[in-house]
Amino acid sequence: MTVQAIVKPNTYFDSVSLMSLSTKANQIEGVEQAIIAMATEMNKEVMKNVGLLTSVVEEAKSSDLVIVVNAATEELCENAFIMIDELFTKKNTSTSKSKVKYSTISSAAESIPDANLAVIAVNGAYAPREARKALENNLHVMMFSDNVSIEDEIELKKLAHEKGLLMMGPDCGTAIIGNVALCFANAVRKGSIGIVGASGTGSQEVSVRIHEFGGGISQMIGTGGRDLKEEVGGIMMLDGIKALEEDEATKVIVLISKPPAPSVEEKVLAIIKQCTKPVVVWFVGGNEEKVKQAGGHFAKMSKEAALKAVLLAGADESKINKRALNIPLIEEVRTKLTPEQKYIRGLFSGGTLCDEAMHAAMEKFDNVYSNIQRDPNYRLNDKNVSQEHTFIDFGDDEFTQGKPHPMIDPSTRMARFIEEAKDPSVGVIVMDFVLGYGAHEDPVGAILPVIMEAKQNAEDEGRHLEIIGYVLGTELDPQSLEEQVEKLLAAGVTHASSSQNAGLLAREFVVKGE
Amino acid sequence: MSKINDLFNQKLNVINVGIESFKDDLLAQNAEVTHLEWTPPGRGNPELIAALDILEDSAVMKKIEAANKEAVERIINSKPVLIGFEKAIDCVPGMTKTTILHAGPPITWDKMNGPMRGAITGAIVFENLAKDLEEAEKLAASGEITFSPCHEHNCVGSMAGVTSASMYMHIVENKTYGNIAFTNLSEQLSKILRMGANDQSVIDRLNWMRDVFGPILSAAMKLNPNGIDLRLMLAQALHMGDECHNRNVAGTTLLIQALTPYILQTDFTIDQKREVFEFVASSDYFSGPTWMALAKCALDAAHGIENSTIVTTMARNGTEFGIRVSGLAGNTWFTGPAQKVIGPMFAGYKPEDSGLDIGDSAITETYGIGGFAMATAPAIVALVGGTIEDAIGYSTKMKEITTTENPNVTIPLLNFMGIPTGIDVRKVIQTGIMPIINTAIAHKEAGIGMIGAGITHPPVESFEKALLALSENIK
Amino acid sequence: MINNSSLVGYVHSTFKRTINIHCVEDGELYTIASRQIDNGPNTLVIHSDSLEELNIDLNDPVVVKNTELLISNKLTIPIDRTKLWESILPEFPTNAEKAKKNLMRMKEYIDFHGKAGGMKKNIAAQSLYGTEMSKMLEERTRLLLHELLKIRMANGLHHAVSLIGLGPGLTPSGDDFLVGLFTMMNVRESPLYSHQSFCTEVVEKAKTLTNEISYMALKKASVGKVRESIIQLVNSVFYGEERDLNPSLNKVLNIGSSSGTDIALGLVCGLEANLKIGGQL
Repeated sequence: MTVQAIVKPNTYFDSVSLMSLSTKANQIEGVEQAIIAMATEMNKEVMKNVGLLTSVVEEAKSSDLVIVVNAATEELCENAFIMIDELFTKKNTSTSKSKVKYSTISSAAESIPDANLAVIAVNGAYAPREARKALENNLHVMMFSDNVSIEDEIELKKLAHEKGLLMMGPDCGTAIIGNVALCFANAVRKGSIGIVGASGTGSQEVSVRIHEFGGGISQMIGTGGRDLKEEVGGIMMLDGIKALEEDEATKVIVLISKPPAPSVEEKVLAIIKQCTKPVVVWFVGGNEEKVKQAGGHFAKMSKEAALKAVLLAGADESKINKRALNIPLIEEVRTKLTPEQKYIRGLFSGGTLCDEAMHAAMEKFDNVYSNIQRDPNYRLNDKNVSQEHTFIDFGDDEFTQGKPHPMIDPSTRMARFIEEAKDPSVGVIVMDFVLGYGAHEDPVGAILPVIMEAKQNAEDEGRHLEIIGYVLGTELDPQSLEEQVEKLLAAGVTHASSSQNAGLLAREFVVKGE
Repeated sequence: MSKINDLFNQKLNVINVGIESFKDDLLAQNAEVTHLEWTPPGRGNPELIAALDILEDSAVMKKIEAANKEAVERIINSKPVLIGFEKAIDCVPGMTKTTILHAGPPITWDKMNGPMRGAITGAIVFENLAKDLEEAEKLAASGEITFSPCHEHNCVGSMAGVTSASMYMHIVENKTYGNIAFTNLSEQLSKILRMGANDQSVIDRLNWMRDVFGPILSAAMKLNPNGIDLRLMLAQALHMGDECHNRNVAGTTLLIQALTPYILQTDFTIDQKREVFEFVASSDYFSGPTWMALAKCALDAAHGIENSTIVTTMARNGTEFGIRVSGLAGNTWFTGPAQKVIGPMFAGYKPEDSGLDIGDSAITETYGIGGFAMATAPAIVALVGGTIEDAIGYSTKMKEITTTENPNVTIPLLNFMGIPTGIDVRKVIQTGIMPIINTAIAHKEAGIGMIGAGITHPPVESFEKALLALSENIK
Repeated sequence: MINNSSLVGYVHSTFKRTINIHCVEDGELYTIASRQIDNGPNTLVIHSDSLEELNIDLNDPVVVKNTELLISNKLTIPIDRTKLWESILPEFPTNAEKAKKNLMRMKEYIDFHGKAGGMKKNIAAQSLYGTEMSKMLEERTRLLLHELLKIRMANGLHHAVSLIGLGPGLTPSGDDFLVGLFTMMNVRESPLYSHQSFCTEVVEKAKTLTNEISYMALKKASVGKVRESIIQLVNSVFYGEERDLNPSLNKVLNIGSSSGTDIALGLVCGLEANLKIGGQL
């Protein structure tokens, strides 16, 4: 006789299934006796009494499930375990999806009549073709791929428009459709605020703030970064606004983009005028007057946009924690910095987050440089060398050629951080950490060791190194927001509660002699 | 309300192309998602993608779709009926005493591989054109023998496909479209001419087939005025566990059962009839060539339809693999190098002994049986080296590159799905999925014969060339 | 119960009709149940037939925000509209005649319809393990009852603890039995009610002896918080006729696999003790 046991830690099955499993296990050929039970002390005692207690079972905890098999030979025991395992997994076959594989969008669409959206994330050279196929098969499209020509984009968007379909992208990184986050998006509450965004992290930021303020998202449509260019003409944004206007679940519409081309801006403002629902507009660095004239609600920054949206959606203002800037903290940091420490270095993985912080700085400083500056005079000469106030978007094409996006691979930004931390003219380094679906599983943890080292080095040199960290995410995201923030705080990083606050804090820390 | 608003009110059901982790994220959120087994079309070759784009222009596409619809309708509606057996010289168009037909696309003596040369020299001796193999070789090289592909004479030939004047042929008539197809008789066993064997035992068997076997079958069918409906019999054989390329147990039983009453009625001696039955019983392969003729008969009816991108021939001569496409009429072949066949070998042989893929038998896959109907023949999944799921997977995968299903010939295990019909050159290039072919393995040297069986695929080049030609031709 | 706290926890375990949530703040398990399940302590019954399709995974984050309970982004339950249910046991009847009669009926009914394998002995126990298990359960409950009748609570404590974690199933039979017993000991005006602290003492020792799901049931039962179906049964036993008794007994017997039977036998044991101590049996 051989007695063998295996332990399945923290495994819970309902009693009825446990019993039927147990019965079936005892019917397996060659099995003298099979026990499937919770490994409580008392059950162990029973096993001991009948000589079936093995050391494996002895060590199991009361929350563990144990399977003990008593059979003539070791081999029979092994066989029994295999078959018992099958019994366990058989239980789950009903939920496993069919194994049919498809190679083309057309064949998949034909065989799955309920399919309604294609996510396309292949090399840009092939992406337009696949998108066309999807549209031809009446599928809405989210195109994550970049490096797609603007001609292709226009053609695809025109086709989608004719067919009444979504053509999100190219280079669309975020969307939430029917409460499902697509590609890079955060887990947020379902609600009554609809977003159309031409910028990925901008939309993410606003959706997360809306969630924090107690609001929720009905739909979040991405358009891709070029939608509001003259050539494309805002096809997707205009269609998106129309769809949200008609959507019963949507009460408030939020638009997010860089300032559109003038001709497109006109079209967008015209449609805002027609909307029966309130429209909040956050055009990063955009013009307030025109939006107001069109009857829209202008927001200068992200948090402001989210706040306006939730209030328009009917939230009670008195119950919202708006997280005002921490003025005493600003005073405190200012006293720690020497007169030489006067520059901000923003190292961002999110483009719009970078843009927002940069615009905050530009309100007070002239010498703000970036790889994404619209004014060529302030574009960095060498993207690898900072000058005065510098804001880097590591998600920009020139950094991602042949490399994963910094939201997935932190290495490029990490190397740059080490350089910036050594620079004695740096007053503050500001960084974003993006959580949510698609993103790195522990973005803060990845960079934490270098942060701590840099802090130590600065201290050794008798210099205060101020770092602001902003974690974009909700408590529902797959990563733990709380843990990420705690890690930052433990490393002595100043935690900003929003993208907007991160930008403003960075600026205020280094304002001198006011 | 636009379709966008419809989407807002539906449960999201996503087709995910590219980055697989997006699929996992969607699954984690309880969305329905199907991840495509996607590869860049045309292996990422811009020239091929451009050609695909031309063919996908909506006006062009309409023409192609219409032409392909007609082509597959002709394949499906074809009703091939076995009407008789005659000597090649008496029935095959263009046959002469010094003509030898071979499998695959055209090839010259100097380029032929071992098994093909073995079969040809054997046939020359069999036809008494030379006294021995040595002399036969000289004759073959001399240019006095006319070599021509079976396919260009309404024929198909299994393995080397070597067909000479006095060999008996199946005669299969397409009752729907009137065209006729031919193929020679199974030699059964493994040490046979078509596998490249050519010693005296092989010649003796061929003589007996010419003198007894062929004439009895011929006389029998003369007594059967209606002929034998092969499509019906094929459908039955598939339901009995054959895929009718590498497994022919059921089909052979059905065929000989249909022939027996008439064989008994012929004037031959009991002993001779007994020899025939014993010969048929000696190997399951007896009906193998019959299904090839059926497939050829149906596919020839679909060849030459302007603008069609449907493949009507896949054939190999042991050196090259060639295909013909309906829309490029006549004998336009698109070729690539013949491939290795992967599968179990007879005891004592190693993979390096194998000759490259050879024979016209891939006509069965072109029709939709053989490897395409793998799900009907779970008994031979060892060929695909795997499980029944794999076998079923092959049949469903072939749907990705075909145009329709043939409702007359169905696969029980797949809920009576029709066999995948009408290989579309465009789909092959788009998906990168190559047709799957079940086949036998001949020894690479002349004179030895069959040493195993397995599966293989066409070379992608043949389809790429065809696609480029189509994009230039269809306007 | 959920109403007052801002429960933040994670999904502890999932079943077809229930999801258990481990609350980080108080360490307790809370249950979200589909509508086939009856009300119970720490349980939120939602208007849904099955929870399986929601694809809720272990360790999914659970958050209460404003007036909503969110499980990841898969399930949102508006809790401002939920009806609060409270577990209130009936008082012990002054006239115990009905209870006595019903006790006999209940025993018979369980004998006939109860599920064997746990507290109810499986006469056809096929294995050594099964036989040993029944033997131990039987012996220990007998000893426990013996001490209870003599009101030697300190001795009883030892036997009660020896039942915890004993037996097959997700909630071991010994635990289920104690849930039934505790219920009866928490009936106000009953002879054993004055010894109700016995239950909490047992539970104090239970934490490491059984799994978390079963422990929660014990903990709640020790202060008289049990599922609606058990309360209904106690009501029928005290005040009902036969036609009230059977359906409510059936409901309890249908809990889990053998759990319902084990709970019912615990109730029988507790009632018997109460009646005997009260000198009514």
